[in-house]
Amino acid sequence: MSKYSLKGLLHSLRFRTKITVGVALMLIFSGLSIGLLLSAMSSRALLDAGKERGMALTAGLAFRLVEPLLAMDFLRMKNLIDNNYDQYDDLLYIFLTDTNGNVLAHIFSGGFPTDLLKVNQDSRQPQPLLLSTEKGAVYDFNVDIILGPRKLGSVRLGLARAKMEKQIQQQRLISLICTLGVVSLGIVLALWFGRTVTLRLNRLRESAEEIVKGNLDVQIGIPLERNCWDIMKCDNRDCPAYGDRRRRCWYLAGTMCPQHSEGMADSLNVKSCQDCPVFRCNSGDEIQDLAEVLDIMEVTVKRHIEEVTERGKTIARHQGLLKTIMNVTPDFITLQDKTLAYRFASKAFCDYFGIDEEEMVGKTDFDIFSERQAQLNFHEDKQILLSGRSLAKEITFRRPDGQRWLHIVKVPVYDQDGGIMGLLLTARDISVLKTIQEQLVQAQKMEDLGRLAGGVAHEINTPLGIILGYTQLLMDDITDQELLGNLQVVEKQAKICRKIVADLLGFSRSSQSVRETVDLNESLREVVQLVEHAISLKGINIVQQLDPTVPPLSGDKERLKQVWLNLLNNGADAIGQDGNIVMRSCWNKSGLIEVSVADTGEGVSPEHLDKLFDPFFTTKQVGKGTGLGLSVSFGIIKEHDGTISAQSPAPAKYLADAASPGGSSGPGTVFVVRLPAEKKSIK
Amino acid sequence: MLKFLNILCAFLFAALLAACGEDEHPIKVSLGNREEITVKAPQPAYTYAYLPQYSHTESFNRHQLLVAYLAEETGLPIRQVFPDTFAQHISMFGQGKIDISFSNPFVYVDLANRFGAKAMARIVEKDGRAEFRGQIIARRDNEAIQSVEDCRGKSWVAVDPSSAGGYLFPLALFDDHGLTLRDFKEVVFSGGRQENVILGVYTGLHDFGTIREGALKVVENKIDINQIRIITTTRPYPGWVYAYSPRLAQSSVDKIRAAMLKLDYAHNPRHRAILDAAYFIGFVPSDDRDFDPIRELTWKVERESE
Repeated sequence: MSKYSLKGLLHSLRFRTKITVGVALMLIFSGLSIGLLLSAMSSRALLDAGKERGMALTAGLAFRLVEPLLAMDFLRMKNLIDNNYDQYDDLLYIFLTDTNGNVLAHIFSGGFPTDLLKVNQDSRQPQPLLLSTEKGAVYDFNVDIILGPRKLGSVRLGLARAKMEKQIQQQRLISLICTLGVVSLGIVLALWFGRTVTLRLNRLRESAEEIVKGNLDVQIGIPLERNCWDIMKCDNRDCPAYGDRRRRCWYLAGTMCPQHSEGMADSLNVKSCQDCPVFRCNSGDEIQDLAEVLDIMEVTVKRHIEEVTERGKTIARHQGLLKTIMNVTPDFITLQDKTLAYRFASKAFCDYFGIDEEEMVGKTDFDIFSERQAQLNFHEDKQILLSGRSLAKEITFRRPDGQRWLHIVKVPVYDQDGGIMGLLLTARDISVLKTIQEQLVQAQKMEDLGRLAGGVAHEINTPLGIILGYTQLLMDDITDQELLGNLQVVEKQAKICRKIVADLLGFSRSSQSVRETVDLNESLREVVQLVEHAISLKGINIVQQLDPTVPPLSGDKERLKQVWLNLLNNGADAIGQDGNIVMRSCWNKSGLIEVSVADTGEGVSPEHLDKLFDPFFTTKQVGKGTGLGLSVSFGIIKEHDGTISAQSPAPAKYLADAASPGGSSGPGTVFVVRLPAEKKSIK
Repeated sequence: MLKFLNILCAFLFAALLAACGEDEHPIKVSLGNREEITVKAPQPAYTYAYLPQYSHTESFNRHQLLVAYLAEETGLPIRQVFPDTFAQHISMFGQGKIDISFSNPFVYVDLANRFGAKAMARIVEKDGRAEFRGQIIARRDNEAIQSVEDCRGKSWVAVDPSSAGGYLFPLALFDDHGLTLRDFKEVVFSGGRQENVILGVYTGLHDFGTIREGALKVVENKIDINQIRIITTTRPYPGWVYAYSPRLAQSSVDKIRAAMLKLDYAHNPRHRAILDAAYFIGFVPSDDRDFDPIRELTWKVERESE
């Protein structure tokens, strides 16, 4: 197996296996090494002990043999030697020699093994000498028998090595068994240790996986048996550590523990807590510290995530709100960066130019507008970015649906450093405002015109009355037919003038009006009866769609009838020959009564619609109308707090039952009069 | 990791080598090659014996230098022999196995009477006297024995029936004080060993003991001799004597006596060492008449025995 594959195999092993195998290998190696060494040492010690024992036996015997040797008491010598020999079963021989080498006593029977006399003769040599005999290995001890300075003889003792070897073998077997036992116990302990360590590491890993999965409610550290408030008998519920069973108090900042140094900026600085009974009780090893730190990290991350989530929700809510506003607002809002590329555009803007909102980001004016317009915008925008001055302007352009007006405001956008980072544009469609402005101008013009006409008519009315009065007086006195005929012409034209003056007064509300309860439908029918015959001569049919439930209104019946009459005549003039006029009345719950008079005539061109109610405006041939009918009607309706408007072509709903029997059927015009019911007063 | 494993393997190999090391090489010897052997007789020599009042080892240590000196000085082969008992000493003298006997005066008188031993020289004790005395000793805490008379009815341990200072002198003293052997509870002999008498009293086994004057010094390194109290001391008698066998040639006797008398304790360090080992300081010439008081004492003892 190559070095790298072995390394790979080692890396791929589980941590628990690594610990167990590693510790087991170390135990086996160290156990075998120490066991072998100790066995060798003890074997040597046993051997040395055996040698010392042999030496002691020999020396003791030599001491005890002094007296018998001095006395040359062979019997005592023999007895001493025999007694020793019989006492120990591992003694192979003992014999005694004198200084001349005579064997004075020995234990052998059947002769003496003289080979023994040839070896180990000098006791000054290292003792014992190992001999190899037929009875196995023998340690031969030679000890001199010395008295004072004089050597009396020597004792030789043969000690069988077999017994020592047996003891050594027993000792080695015991050493081996003990070593194996210790190694086995060590392996079991290594297994337990590995399991204990990896169990906690696995718990850390599983907890970390749970954290990665997003579960921040796991508790990695071991729950405490006794918490700090239990140990310290603390009842300070304001302390952040009180009740916190997940985190160790020394990791918490701002605890009120008197053991904890005050003003600790770093909550992880636990030096001041190391003598605290809580620390001594609850502190653990590095793995526990890691688990506790992870717990703290988990709690902190969870709190931060909750804060971020809450902020995200707030931001999303604000974004949604902003987006809703941006989507709903009819104004155009855009944000361009310093390169004038669009970073944002409101829905109204995108819809107006027919561009998708997402596609809008990154585009420039050159992608949206014409080259000329884009160039104009570019220089204008650059000017703003360079000068920092905002711009407000109104522009108008024509679109298929009419003239459009936009009010544009461009302001520079500053970043946190005070530099210009972009350009904000807001644009509002003020076409309606412009229309209303024009209408306001028209109304003001009408007001002024009415006031002028009223003043003129009032001033003319008196001399005209005198002219007419004197004319009629002259007619009574003059009999000349020719002169009378001329006076009649004067009278007729004076009456025409009086009519015009009366109309001008009516337009300017300068005439007297009578306030009474008016049945609208009745007034309508009376007018129809008045003109029906004359109109029918032109082939024009009047269709009445009168709501019988229409409530009465308060007003001047005659003047209202004048309005209806004007409208019917106007309709008949618009039709000319053969057509329908539909007269409708209805009302709604809000108390507004609506009267519409629609004709199937040629209709009014759009550019004339705004001028219909102007005094003296007419599209009729010269001599056919004065151009005061609709303006007088406008004045009467206004006097009744109502409104009058004209639409052309007339919407279909106003001509639902106006099927023309054979006449022309134009786009038609409808005049709609809205009057309040039960009016309390008419100004 | 592999490097670590290599180191481990090397360590294990070294441990195995250390464990298996064997540095002994046996010499092949046959125990079956047997022969009948005999002891060669020692060279002829004059035998010198010290009456065995001490162990052989003590006897050897005391006299080996003196024996070597005499052999060297006289040019005669002299060898110390070690009889086990007084009786064996006397017996061996009678058998001719002892040519020069160093004994107490009683043994000498016996040897002279029975085997014709002749006194050659007397030793001078360390106190400068050529006589010696016996001592009665008891334990210092034994208040019952304050005088010779207090020994009546007590247990007596003596050296040997033949011991002069250790038995006979005190026996004569007791006789002078009217005490006979029957007046004691018991009389036990220690086998001729002065040390055993002292140890018998020291251990409390016996009430009092009798020893030769100066014997306490022999055991001063073995026991606390302050625990021993000397009750009384006998009159002086002639001291130990060197006697020679009638079979010894007179020329040899003269040489030996001359060598003995030549020893100068005061001025010759070698002689001093020889004499210190023997526990005396010199010799004086002596003949058989010097031992008449002993003969008288012997008579008393015999009478006591009867």
